[in-house]
Parts: sequence; structure tokens; C-alpha cells
Amino acid sequence: MIHIISFLRKINNGIAIIAGLALLACITLIILDIVLREFGISFSGSEEISGYVMAAVTSWGICYGLTVKAHVRIDFLREKSNSFIRSLFDLIALAALSYVAVYLAYYAIPVLTKTLKSGALSNTAMEVPLYLPQSIWLAGWIWFAISSSLLLIISLILVLQGKYQLVHKNIGIGDES
Amino acid sequence: MILFTSMGLLGLLALSIPVGIVLFLLAFGVDMFFSPFPLMKGLGQIVWSSSNNSTLIAIPFFVLIGEILLRSGVAQRTYAALNTWVSWLPGGLIHANIATATMFSATSGSSVATAATVATVATPQGEKLGYDPRLFTGSIAAGGTLGILIPPSINLIVYGFLTESSIPKLFLAGIVPGMMMALLFMVITIILCSLYPTLGGPKQHSSWSEKFIALKSLSPILFLFISVVGSIYMGWATPTESAAIGVLISLIISMAYSVLSTDMLIKSLVGTIKITSMIMLVVIGAYVLNFALTASGFGRALQDLLQGLGLSPIGTLLVIILTYIILGFFIETLSLMVATIPIVVPIIIQIGYDPIWFGILMIILVEMALITPPVGLNLYVVNSARKNGKMMDVIVGSIPYVLIMLFMVLLLIMFPSIALYLPNNY
Repeated sequence: MIHIISFLRKINNGIAIIAGLALLACITLIILDIVLREFGISFSGSEEISGYVMAAVTSWGICYGLTVKAHVRIDFLREKSNSFIRSLFDLIALAALSYVAVYLAYYAIPVLTKTLKSGALSNTAMEVPLYLPQSIWLAGWIWFAISSSLLLIISLILVLQGKYQLVHKNIGIGDES
Repeated sequence: MILFTSMGLLGLLALSIPVGIVLFLLAFGVDMFFSPFPLMKGLGQIVWSSSNNSTLIAIPFFVLIGEILLRSGVAQRTYAALNTWVSWLPGGLIHANIATATMFSATSGSSVATAATVATVATPQGEKLGYDPRLFTGSIAAGGTLGILIPPSINLIVYGFLTESSIPKLFLAGIVPGMMMALLFMVITIILCSLYPTLGGPKQHSSWSEKFIALKSLSPILFLFISVVGSIYMGWATPTESAAIGVLISLIISMAYSVLSTDMLIKSLVGTIKITSMIMLVVIGAYVLNFALTASGFGRALQDLLQGLGLSPIGTLLVIILTYIILGFFIETLSLMVATIPIVVPIIIQIGYDPIWFGILMIILVEMALITPPVGLNLYVVNSARKNGKMMDVIVGSIPYVLIMLFMVLLLIMFPSIALYLPNNY
């Protein structure tokens, strides 16, 4: 069980590094754009591309946020409970999250399929085929749905086994580790 | 619908469901019970168009600036330098705490990270010189909150995005109130420490030559601030572009201090993704809820409610402010802001207030949330930087600064031009 969680965490750490490097690349592109503009060369693609990068960083980054417990939760009832009730709070929170994640991924799919059907290009000089950024973005949400559901199943088993400490450590509130 | 949304918000939050997820669930609920036609079929498209946004990418850029600066020892240098400039005032080092927190948080954009950093730097000094821990720690917790008001501010970008207001205007509107509050923090410190000298500690005098040498270590952070804010107002760069320039400058600063390494860069990037993911989940959730509420005629329901209550605009405003203060005991800055914007800002516009002005007012109110117990992140962060000592010290020490914030709210209501003069004239 724990192996699966640490495997998930490893994957998501890798994702975070890739997303971070994408940000860095985007910054380089923007600065290049500013410098070229000073020399009167118009390139002007950086704005469009940074939008795509943001979309991808968002959907994939949110997966990373899941395994490092970055998503903000209000703690004032939960912290007053014993470890069993606390685990229940954690389960409810994760169940709600997985529900939204699956729902989101499900309704994000038509965005891509519609684009594929129409072969839509972006409405700019670059004419980027929109399926490219959209598939990266969609894959992030699908991974969010998969990883959160997986985490929910494992946590449910951990609660049934009475391993509340592990539940707290992996899907509770507070520092990772 | 108003009752459903507000009660649903509080109930689901109390269950400790992540804030962003709560906003999605509420949007689903509004769609199910109040919308005449199914809205959530278009959910994918809404999420795509909200995150495919070249303005929002300024958020991770500003976070990255802070992450790089945090690891560059800039806070230590700034503290030492400001110490020579302000510690002759009654209250001594406490002024250095406030000034450093203001300056550092203005550029890094994160209140909590600022409070943590300044606390780590300042606490050993304060303990060594025998300062009263209360005002000393309170000033760090409170000073750290100022960053979200002084541009560049991530919270203002989020506010602008969700309310469709101009981000450069919001940035301009934040400058004067932000600086004023920092000054008022120092003024109240001087007053308290003159009346009760035991609250402070020894004053420190530095010679002019020391002061000018100190300027040298202030210059990188000042240069960064001026480049980022200046390039927006001179019309050279969009907020996103200026943020990219800021990242470049912060990389150069870390290189100059020879702390830049692959490892440090990767850590900064991963830290950025973590904070960005946290911000974006609530921002997208709020965007979706905003959409669902607007499409279901929330504006009309609000209008009816307000007319039914028969409150004057100022009465409504006071009720809203009181609600923020109470919610602020339990919920933190960005979550509090984002979760309430879809409900509150339409009311504010409805009763005739300026959304830019209200943005600034709201920021001050959510700043207060950071230092009001039982849930006040800055209080915890500052206290955990001390080896021992009670949480109560920090809480008590923050009270004067909370009062200043309330005073500032009052000033803004009486004189809206404190915020609006710059954006209306430039």
C-alpha cells in the first residue's frame, strides 16, 4: 500500500520538476520577446504560449499539490477530534476531491474531442493546432482523477486497518514527510 | 440561493474539504438546484479558458521570485541594512522588523514566507538584546502581511482576474495604503515604546558612513522592486512580462551572492509549483462558481435581498466588513478572498462602490485574518521560529497592529481617494 503512495509521490515530484522547467523556458521566451521587441523585431508568440504553459502547469501542478498536501483545508473542527475521527475527516475531504477530479476530467474530455473533430487552430498569427496544448492540459486532469482515486482507495484500506497515523501522514494536514 | 451558497460554503469548509474543491461542489449544487439549464456540461471549456491565460502565469513568476530570494540570503542582508537606518527610533529593532518585512514581502509576494524568513533572521537578535518578546514577534507577524497590499501582489492579480478589474490599476491603488500602513505600524511602535519603554529594547545608533555602506546591500532588492513595478507603469511591459524580468533579476542577485546552483534552482521551481497549484485550485474553483452564480441569476437574487433588508450602502458595507473579520478568525487570506469574491463583489458593485477600492479594502481585511487567532498562519510561523515561548506572546503583540489595520479600513471608507487617487490620475 505504502509503496503505491510513495510511487505516486515520486511520479508527482518528477512532474513538478518538469512543470517548473516549463515555467523557466516560458520566462526565457518572454524575455527574448521583450529584447527582440526593442530591436524592432516582432515575434509576439510568447503571450499565446505562456497561456498554454499556464494551463498545463495548472492541471499537472494540482496533481503535485495533492501528494504534498498543498491544497488548503480549514482545520478548526478536525484538529479538535481524536485520531479516528480525524481520519474520517481526511477521507471525506479526499472523497470530495476525487469526486470533483473525476467529474472535471470527464467534462474536460469533450474540449479535446471537439477540437480534434474540427481541427481548430488558434485564432492568432501562429495558428497553433489547439489539440496540442489541450491534450497536455487534459492529460493533467485525467492524471489528477486517477491519482486521487488511487489515493482514496488506499486511504480507505488504511482506515479499515486502523492505521490512522499513516492516514494522517499521507492525506492529513500539515508538513509532508 | 444566497442562503444555500453561504451556508454550503461554511458547512463544507468545516468538514475540512479543500477550499478549491468546496467551490467546485457549490458550483455543482447551484447548477443542480437553481440553474434553468445544465451549466456544467461546459465545465471543461470554462476550466480550459480560465487556465489558458497569459495574465495568470504572472502568479507562478512572482512566487518564483520569492522562492529564489528566500534562498539567496537577501532577507538577512536587508535586515542588517535597515537596522542601521531605523533602529535609533524608540522601539529599536522592532522598526527593522517592520521595514524588512515590508520590503521583503513587497517583492516576494508571500506573507507567510516573509514572516517565516524575517522571524528566523530577527528572533536571535531580539533574544540576545533582551527585547520584550510580545511586541517584537507581533511586529514580524503583522509586517509580513503587508506584502499582499504593496505591488506586485499575487492576491491583487487574483482579485483582478476574478472581478475583471485592471491589474495595473489595482497595483497602483495598493501603493499608498500599503506604505501608509507600514508607517502607521512604526508610529504605533514609537508611541507604545515611548510610553512603556520596557516593551522595546535598546536603541541602536549607527554612523552615517555605516548607513551608506548599508545602502549597498539594500540596492538589489530596491532595484528589483523598481524594475518590476516601474516597467508596468512606464508601459514597457505587461504584468506578466514584468514578472519575467523580475525572475531574471532575482536570478542575477542570487548569482551575485553566489548561491545559485542547479539544486537551489530545482528546489525553487518545485516550491513554486507547490504554491501555484494551491493558488490555482482555489482560483479555478472560484471562477467556476462565479460562472454558475452569474448564469443562475445570482445578481437579481442579491438585489432582492438587499432591497428586502433595507440597509443603506454603508450599512451593507459594515455588515460585509464584520463578516470578513469574523471569517478571518478561521480562514486564511487567499482562500477567504477567493471564496467570498463571487458572492461579495457583486453586492459591492450593486450598492455603488468602486471595485478597485474594495479590492484594497478586502486585502487589508484578509491581511488581518493572517494575524487573528485561532487560525492565523503568520502567528504560528513567527512563534515556531522561536526556541521556546508561548503563542500568546505573538497574539498579544499583534493586537496594536490589528487595531492599525482597523483604523486603516476606517480611513479608506472615509477617504476612498487614499486608494483611488493614483489609479484615477495615472
